[in-house]
Amino acid sequence: MDLKKLREKAAADFKANGFPTTKEELWRFTDVSRVATAEFSNDWKPSDLTFRALDKITVVFENGKLSREKSNFTELPEGICIGSILDLVDPRIGTLADAQSAFVSSNTAFFADGTFIEVTDGAKIDTPIHLIYLADVDGAAFHLRNFISVGKDAQVTVVEEYIGQSGATYWTNAVTEVFVADQGAVDHYKVQRESESSFHFQTLEAQLGADAVFSNHAVTFGSALGRNDIRGKLTGEGGEAICNGLYLLKDKQVFDTHIFMDHAVPKCNSHELYKGILDDKARAVFCGRILVQKDAQQTDAIQSNGNLLLSRAAKVNTLPQLEIYADDVKCTHGATIGQLDETALYYLQTRGIDPVQGHAMLTFAFANEVMDEVKCKIAKVYIEDLVHEWLDQVSK
Amino acid sequence: MALLEIKDLHASVADKPILKGINLTIKPGEVHAIMGPNGSGKSTLSNVLAGNEAYTKTAGQILFDGQDIDELAAHERACAGMFLAFQYPVEIAGISNMYFLKAAVNAVRKYQGIDQLDAMDFLDLVEEKKKIVKIRSDLLERAVNSGFSGGEKKRNEIFQMAMLEPKLGILDETDSGLDIDALRIVADGVNALRSPDRGFLVITHYQRLLDYIVPDHVHVLVNGQIVKSGGKELALELEDEGYASWVAE
Repeated sequence: MDLKKLREKAAADFKANGFPTTKEELWRFTDVSRVATAEFSNDWKPSDLTFRALDKITVVFENGKLSREKSNFTELPEGICIGSILDLVDPRIGTLADAQSAFVSSNTAFFADGTFIEVTDGAKIDTPIHLIYLADVDGAAFHLRNFISVGKDAQVTVVEEYIGQSGATYWTNAVTEVFVADQGAVDHYKVQRESESSFHFQTLEAQLGADAVFSNHAVTFGSALGRNDIRGKLTGEGGEAICNGLYLLKDKQVFDTHIFMDHAVPKCNSHELYKGILDDKARAVFCGRILVQKDAQQTDAIQSNGNLLLSRAAKVNTLPQLEIYADDVKCTHGATIGQLDETALYYLQTRGIDPVQGHAMLTFAFANEVMDEVKCKIAKVYIEDLVHEWLDQVSK
Repeated sequence: MALLEIKDLHASVADKPILKGINLTIKPGEVHAIMGPNGSGKSTLSNVLAGNEAYTKTAGQILFDGQDIDELAAHERACAGMFLAFQYPVEIAGISNMYFLKAAVNAVRKYQGIDQLDAMDFLDLVEEKKKIVKIRSDLLERAVNSGFSGGEKKRNEIFQMAMLEPKLGILDETDSGLDIDALRIVADGVNALRSPDRGFLVITHYQRLLDYIVPDHVHVLVNGQIVKSGGKELALELEDEGYASWVAE
């Protein structure tokens, strides 16, 4: 189906089905009626927000539209093509994110811009590509569509960062499709720093070929109501998908993470490590579904979700779901909701560290465990700084 | 002045009396060993000294460097120069060993009114102390004790002790779970830290460790009380005869 027809069909689907309700299994814990009943405008203005470029290559969007003035991707290393999704075409757009929900279908129908990245076979891109989405129009909806394709034995690092103006109420609805060919590697980070009164929804879909690696670190600080839908499709032997994440929530924030890892073929690994720290009346949902299909022998799948509640009113729903149809597999999952480890606090004290500092160190350590395996040093340091900043605010 | 003076110490865990009147004096430069069977109160003694709140001191007095340690919380005891090497060092994912050590060294220096170490001076200190316990650099970059072998954890304890330069080092069954090579490295580390103004309390079940860390005094702890004290030859006696004659009483 060509893109025009796909978009018409998505618009029809969206019109027919509308937004999901909490009666649907996948949306049981997350009520999106606040988004469904809101009116969004098409108002546009340039953004007043600032950002910190992580490295030389940046792709900057102001209120949903690419800003070539603020971006820096004119001089690129050999083997990579970057541009607006409105200018560059690939027949695979829309084939992974094929309208499972109103968020995907409305995005497919209405997307107004987004990033297109293609890395050719064998190209290894050292500089991380920093995608920055700035939002400061009150009442607007931003449907952003990203497409990342990495060829055989090629590599790229992409950091998607969403930054919003504090106090602004708007809706970010993003879809990112990632295709990783055989032996390819994509190291992907998502930093969500939307306004505390915004709505943020993203569907991230990745398809991996043989011996391909897709690594994703999703760190969430912002939005009043938000959700990450992450779907990994392991379609070639020897593929590896790493989906780690951290959500730091306070006030009345609600954030939902749904991961679906689809092991279709033998000898693939998937690792999911998710941590959450919740204060005040914040609420988190973590749902990790791992499907091991009949042929997917020798699958190695690990999932763990740990939560730290700083307030009695904070709440977490964590739901591991393993569906295993093969018999020679290794699948483990674990979920914890708890307090800081008292023995660790005592250990720090016996080394001279007072309980207040010890508490802060252990809280940081709890969160930072998801960053232990991060390959991109620039992203690691940047995210660690943001985590420290958040923790400092909460402890005040 | 004595470095550590324990007078008629009674302590309990969850309302169960464990220590029943301990008297012990350690002078600067001395190495004391406390030997005892399982359940005699060895670990309770080290935890009470270090200030673990799960352990309650019910009677008696402990003076550290002349100061009553009831007045000091666990971190203040550490800052005042007491160091406990754990029997089971705690794993802390998410904090690198280096970050942890820098926080500890600077907390102690702050308490003692000494200038904080900057990154360069800290690294110089690490390089100097690394040699004492032959600890690998990659272990220092990893999360605290996470995925370390038993020997690596114990070596890390001694390395921390070297970095913090305490007045009193308490080794709580540091030999447990170590093979002979690891034991020798750990003991060499401790011996390198012996000095005329530093004292040690070595707590152990077995005599083996005392072949390498030779004590000045040996005390036998049974059922919460010191039943016999003597010189290093007492450890050998225990090796031959075991604890049976005391436990039976």
